[in-house]
Amino acid sequence: MPYKLWFGVFEDELKLAEKFEDSFVNAVNEKPIPFNVAELGIKVLGREYYRTLRRVAIGVAEKRIREELSSDERYIISLVKALESVEEIINVLKEKEEDLEANAIGEKFLEAIENMKELRDEIEREIDVVMAKIAPNLYEVAGAKLGAKLIEKFGGIKKLAFASSNKIQIIGAERSLYKAIARMKRGKDAKIPKHGIIFLHGFVRNLPKKKRGKMARFLASKISIAAKIDYFRGELDEGLFESVKRRFEELRREK
Amino acid sequence: MRNVRIINGIPATKSRYGSHYGERVIEIGGEKYREWIPWRSKLSALILKGHEIEFRGDERVLYLGASTGTTLSHLADVIDEGVIYAVEYSAKPFIKLLELAKERENVIPLLYDASKPWLYSGIVEKVDFIYQDVAQRNQVGILKANADFFLKNDGSFLLMVKAKSIDSTAEPKEVFDAVVEKISRDFSILETGSLEPYHKDHIFILGVKI
Ligand SMILES: C[S@@+](CC[C@H](N)C(=O)[O-])C[C@H]1O[C@@H](n2cnc3c(N)ncnc32)[C@H](O)[C@@H]1O
Repeated sequence: MPYKLWFGVFEDELKLAEKFEDSFVNAVNEKPIPFNVAELGIKVLGREYYRTLRRVAIGVAEKRIREELSSDERYIISLVKALESVEEIINVLKEKEEDLEANAIGEKFLEAIENMKELRDEIEREIDVVMAKIAPNLYEVAGAKLGAKLIEKFGGIKKLAFASSNKIQIIGAERSLYKAIARMKRGKDAKIPKHGIIFLHGFVRNLPKKKRGKMARFLASKISIAAKIDYFRGELDEGLFESVKRRFEELRREK
Repeated sequence: MRNVRIINGIPATKSRYGSHYGERVIEIGGEKYREWIPWRSKLSALILKGHEIEFRGDERVLYLGASTGTTLSHLADVIDEGVIYAVEYSAKPFIKLLELAKERENVIPLLYDASKPWLYSGIVEKVDFIYQDVAQRNQVGILKANADFFLKNDGSFLLMVKAKSIDSTAEPKEVFDAVVEKISRDFSILETGSLEPYHKDHIFILGVKI
């Protein structure tokens, strides 16, 4: 069995690669290699072994980073769009199923709904995995699904990071906002919406109505910070979620 | 620990290099020490809490979940004659990790998913030590797979476990018990301990491959 190593392929004897960058990315083996890669490598490359390995690793990573940064983000946006379509399809199918319930074909609709629900769950799991990787702070503070929806609505992590927290708080409720503004212009009473899709967050939803606005505002400001850290550093700040949780508990206890 | 000393109540590593993440550099007797803030690094918290892990300084180490290289930079000071393979799958923090790898001769940066060790199986050699801090639901599986591929017999590992990343609703104690139980099926555990108050609801597990 040939063993694929970063500096070549070993089968009875070693065939040194022409370009280490190529052999490096192809150094995939289904099973553990039964000998020590570095021992063999040092026999071939001598004292330069680690220096060469490090140079190749850095070169390959530099190229891959640029590709990954943009492709991961495009991927999450596509996933969110797919999720929304599938949710819509489920709703339509449910309506039709109710119309046709009494007929034999109603069964077929139930089956289709079940399939779509499986697909929806699969997409949600994928969103979870990708969000944890590309936006660990949004993942903790907003949750995978809401975080991904915000990225999609704003058109990327960068735009979300530079958006005002007011906008984050009400995005998704633009329609009622415009309606309210129009009413006010006509001199009528109107309620300005206090939250858009941020309402999806358990900490907003699970508070009594009159406290939700406060929570939504606080959460939006923390989401804004989370997006900034994810955009600039990409490293998890453990304190961020704790502060959101504390605020939630405060509001819940407040009379 | 080798090359580590406690200065004004905080660990620091003897280093030939400057600051990596904004930590202070202190000079004592002509030697430079980089302050190792326990709130920023779980390994520093572990040391400050009085636990000991011995290194010779020439170990081969596999570091899973290296992020921007905060802890890695100190471990690279400790294992200054060894080699550390640093795996991280997220591109953003990896940018900063690359800066470190360019500076440090003993750091090999690997942009890979640690749950797929076969992808880097022809790159990483057999190692003496695995340091894992991935904050992932399947972290026990990740450890097991990497130990199968790369850890020498008698090689040891240090696993940092965050309760919330495994189950965000369960009691931390229950989560930790379950992880320890799962790990002890495949490894022999030497020591476990909490990282409070520096890292809330985190424990470490030190063990060896049998
Ligand atoms: C808590 S942070 C690590 C902090 C770092 N060890 C330190 O102390 O400086 C966890 C890191 O693991 C990474 N991670 C999570 N799952 C991973 C996987 N399957 N493969 C590689 N890296 C992973 C995350 O992207 C994140 O950067």
